Amino acid sequence: MEYYLVILLVYLGTDLLAAWGLNLEFGVAGIANLAFIVTIAAGAYTYVICTLSSPAAGGGFQQYIGGFSLPFPLAVVAGTLMGGVVGVLIGITGLKRLRQDYQAVAMLVVSLMAATIVSADTSFLNGNAGVAILPQFAPLSDQDPEIQHWGYVAIVAVACIVGFLVLRRFTDGPIGRTLRAMRDDESAAAAVGKDVVALRLMVQAVGGAFGGLSGALLVAFIGGWSPGAWAYVETLALLTAVIVGGMGSNRGVSVGTFLIAILILQGVQFLPQISFRIGLREDLGWILLGTLTIVFIWVRPQGVLPERRPKYGRSP
Amino acid sequence: MELLIEAIGFGIASGAVIALGAVGFSVQFGMSNILNITYGSLMTLGAYLGLFLIDRGASAWAALGLASLVVGAVSVVFHRALLAPLVRRGTRAFALVIVTVSAGVVLQYVIVAFAGPDAKSYGEQSGQTFRLLGFILTASQVTIILLTLVLMLGLHLLLTRTTLGRAMRATASNRILAQSCGINTDLVSDVAWLLSGLLCGAAGVALAITTVSFDFTLGPVFLIPMIAAAVLGGIGQPYGAMIGGLVVGVAGEVASAYTNPEYSVVVAFAILIAMLLVRPRGLFGAAWATRRLAA
Repeated sequence: MEYYLVILLVYLGTDLLAAWGLNLEFGVAGIANLAFIVTIAAGAYTYVICTLSSPAAGGGFQQYIGGFSLPFPLAVVAGTLMGGVVGVLIGITGLKRLRQDYQAVAMLVVSLMAATIVSADTSFLNGNAGVAILPQFAPLSDQDPEIQHWGYVAIVAVACIVGFLVLRRFTDGPIGRTLRAMRDDESAAAAVGKDVVALRLMVQAVGGAFGGLSGALLVAFIGGWSPGAWAYVETLALLTAVIVGGMGSNRGVSVGTFLIAILILQGVQFLPQISFRIGLREDLGWILLGTLTIVFIWVRPQGVLPERRPKYGRSP
Repeated sequence: MELLIEAIGFGIASGAVIALGAVGFSVQFGMSNILNITYGSLMTLGAYLGLFLIDRGASAWAALGLASLVVGAVSVVFHRALLAPLVRRGTRAFALVIVTVSAGVVLQYVIVAFAGPDAKSYGEQSGQTFRLLGFILTASQVTIILLTLVLMLGLHLLLTRTTLGRAMRATASNRILAQSCGINTDLVSDVAWLLSGLLCGAAGVALAITTVSFDFTLGPVFLIPMIAAAVLGGIGQPYGAMIGGLVVGVAGEVASAYTNPEYSVVVAFAILIAMLLVRPRGLFGAAWATRRLAA
């Protein structure tokens, strides 16, 4: 039971980081990045290949590129950076001045495609079987289980606090106002001299880095990563958190993440076994998430805790 | 050389299926201006309905007809009950995409909840093998190519020779003007969603007939070559989508014959990204409804 609480806290922390990153891109800057999960995957895979030793030394039971035997902090930094790089690469598909929905579909295709390529090519990241690392809790592996568990929760908590402080530099203040202006009217923002292309790429880099950090911390905890862990629907879970919580509002998105990642996705696990089939409760979770997104876009598009509208000058 | 010709033959067969799907997708986009990602899951629905019917003794071709009728009906209801009200409420285009992605996920997992996550198969459907001009094709592939040709010809005649088709083209190019000419645009758009659903269901069953096995991700995976074909031909243009389907199908099969089979999807993806970056209006420029693509 206590271990379950540890799992929940780590999931909540990594989901928060990811949802904040997606909110920066989607809620604040208006980039409907349906490939966000790919940045998480990039962070996770990078962490794995940075911490593992070379494939041959590991007995050759899994194939992957790299294998640098780096310590935990360096591997997490590498994962974060890789998330940013992949975020920019995804962002390039959205640079062409196309309709927003068209860009969203292009990014959805990027997500489907990345998973297809990684699954198909086993020499790259061990294909469909995925890569595994041991031990779990890498930075604390020689400690008691108790210290390992809560120590890891503390590491994730520190990452969240640092992440939140960094995030506020981008969502609030001058940068945040510029990004919101770009979201609300891109042409107007460009007309007053804002470099829209540079802003978009910056947002994609920062948001991607949040995804990468989230992925690296998550994989260090769960100990393995495969294409099944980052299907395109996983982006939808984060997107639901952003939409339900309130696009553009950090507080709202944090609440939304708690509601979605913990109450719903974990809550369905406690439903009584309604059928002989094992995966049915997870299916229900997805059905619930999709329905919730649609209901919120229909009934309350601003979310539970909407973005505060800024007041400029004196109000009458 | 023989390998190349064989690959082209296979490419025409898979291009026919892609064209079915892409044309349906284009008809719908041209009419409603909504990028409907649920389309992929509707295709999966078609494949599973086909399976349901075949398991109960229907022939594959009867199943194709029935399943596409059902998917057509579902498509109309989906538009009427969910998308059209959202459009009337002024929901923004990217929010609509998220709605269609979500609806697709819901539909996909409803299918899984009923049918289970394992790979399914229609059983042996290929029948006799034909050799024609160096192409080696199975009877079912030939049938699907012929079926696609007939459906495309039918759609062409509908769009150009009938009052309904003219009304559809008018509504696609300017809904308000069409309305003020006395066209019942709601009815016309229902017909477009019905047609697109029919083609979607037919493509789903045809895809399931020609593949060895499939599972609930059939639709979303197939979205890539389909959207690539639609974009290649200029999204929203049915004729472009026909040619786009053929190009994507042949290019994919040729690439997979010479490299890794999985790379047929990669080729489709490369075509899609290249088109998006270089010529988002499609090869044939703007004709039907593409000029609304720019931001």
